Amino acid sequence: MRKLLNGNQAFAYGCFIAKVSFFAGYPITPSTDVYEFFEKEMPMRGGTFVAAESELAAVNTILGATIAGARAVTVSSGCGFSLMQEGISYAAGDFVPLVLLNVMREGAGLGDIPRSQGDYDQMTKGGGNGDYHCIVLSCSSMKDCVEAPAKAFELAEKYMNPVIVTYDSDVAHTMEYVDIPDEIFDKGSAYYDLKSFSRDYARKKLKFVLSGENTPPRYIQNVYYHNKDYDRILADKYDDIEKNCQVADEYRTEDAEIIFVAFSTCNRICLEVVDVLRDKEIKAGLITPVSLYPFPSSTFAKIIASGHVKKFVCVELNILKQMTKDIEYAVKFRVPVETIHSMSTCPTVDEIVYSEVINNV
Amino acid sequence: MYDMQCPGCGHRTAMMLIDQTIDELNIKNKIIVGLDVACCSLLIDELRYDAVMCPHGRVLPVCNGIKKVQHDKIVISYMGDGAAYAIGTNEMIHAAHRNDDALCIVTNNGLFAMTGGQIPPSAFDEKAFDIVPLLKNMDIPFLARETLSNRENIYNCRKYMKEMFESYMTNGGFHLLELLSPCPTNNHMSVKENVEYINVTVSKILKCGRFI
Repeated sequence: MRKLLNGNQAFAYGCFIAKVSFFAGYPITPSTDVYEFFEKEMPMRGGTFVAAESELAAVNTILGATIAGARAVTVSSGCGFSLMQEGISYAAGDFVPLVLLNVMREGAGLGDIPRSQGDYDQMTKGGGNGDYHCIVLSCSSMKDCVEAPAKAFELAEKYMNPVIVTYDSDVAHTMEYVDIPDEIFDKGSAYYDLKSFSRDYARKKLKFVLSGENTPPRYIQNVYYHNKDYDRILADKYDDIEKNCQVADEYRTEDAEIIFVAFSTCNRICLEVVDVLRDKEIKAGLITPVSLYPFPSSTFAKIIASGHVKKFVCVELNILKQMTKDIEYAVKFRVPVETIHSMSTCPTVDEIVYSEVINNV
Repeated sequence: MYDMQCPGCGHRTAMMLIDQTIDELNIKNKIIVGLDVACCSLLIDELRYDAVMCPHGRVLPVCNGIKKVQHDKIVISYMGDGAAYAIGTNEMIHAAHRNDDALCIVTNNGLFAMTGGQIPPSAFDEKAFDIVPLLKNMDIPFLARETLSNRENIYNCRKYMKEMFESYMTNGGFHLLELLSPCPTNNHMSVKENVEYINVTVSKILKCGRFI
């Protein structure tokens, strides 16, 4: 069915496609739409909705639901997401496949609610205590938002690692037409009846599920406590993730001399910038890092090897050039990397097209 | 059994009482245990049940998540006073307020034992943290407190525990049993002195009995 949805609603429908039957959360703008959606839809479909008393309780409730075998999800933004770091760090240490959504908002501390990408380092470089990384997937269109949850759960359960889906508040509130499978709305379908599904799923003998019937008993605790070989296990896991999970979309990069790198709202603007520049006979292209961790270095290596690129331009919404540093690391300083950035004001298409960064090529 | 604990520790007694109750009711294959960190977490390697070591103070949310997915299981939330009455008070009050299906056993020794006996907000002084007045008027099926000191009291604990398990299995809802426990190591007392201290001093500050 074709529906007009904003990013948050699209993500929520995506959760039903991924067979999510459990939601716990605490509302915070700009992620509240997801909370509202599940508040209404979960009880109707026989799923579970928990209005948690805090983000700490929310993340730990879905931690419990996940180890009991359901697919569970929570959402937050800004300072609420910071509170969730405790649970995320535990999930990484205990190898629990947690999936979360972080709708990024502006600034440190309370900040404000406009678009921003300031949580980039928090999500990709850690955030909680200890030696871990979360797999981070970015969304730029409503279609991405619909597809993200299924992709996230697949990765989480494959690598037994938390996965964060992220976009900024403009994508969260932009509306677009998007296709949702008809089964999601069909009251007779297995997708609609979450109750029977959640129970079947819980009984599935997943290797991490606590059922009370395991002999010998199964303990969910930090891998450090029950595996003597934990450094090798951790190193292998993250090596595997870095090798096999890099995903990036490319747009007109085949002969591009100037390549933009952007995700989420900036990506939507850069798509148009590339077309405008191509009309002006400037060879422009765009790389969209879909996986922010692991950063898609192999795509950059491939493009540099082909020899036509003269400059990368990162367009991002934070003061500290957080993603630019990852790009510089990925290109190993062989090609100059410039940045167009601000805290929360998106540059317009014209501002990018007529900026010095472009004229200097 | 449970020999990671210090001599005279209440956790060992509490866990043995839980084991006995489970054996008596023959429900071993239905048990999932959520343990808090610190001294409780030392029990995990010897447990006969599936268990999860939860973040500090978040045992009730984790167990709530498990119970809501696996409706037919008995999910025990086992924690110390740090988790229940310090870092996790918010979770405790709200779990009781929502009347979540929880089987909450709190072993309260009035100090932070694992880190070496520091004073917690729930210390056994004249301003000791008393959960009973907070939960007494809530719509929950079970609330009791007993000391893990002499023989009669331990028998009492066992009686409460059985009542609590049976009530949980028939009606669900929020069940809280607080066990006042000795910690001879950190109180710098002999086991006998510590039992005396709990019987004489502590049980005057925190009244024992079944309240709901």
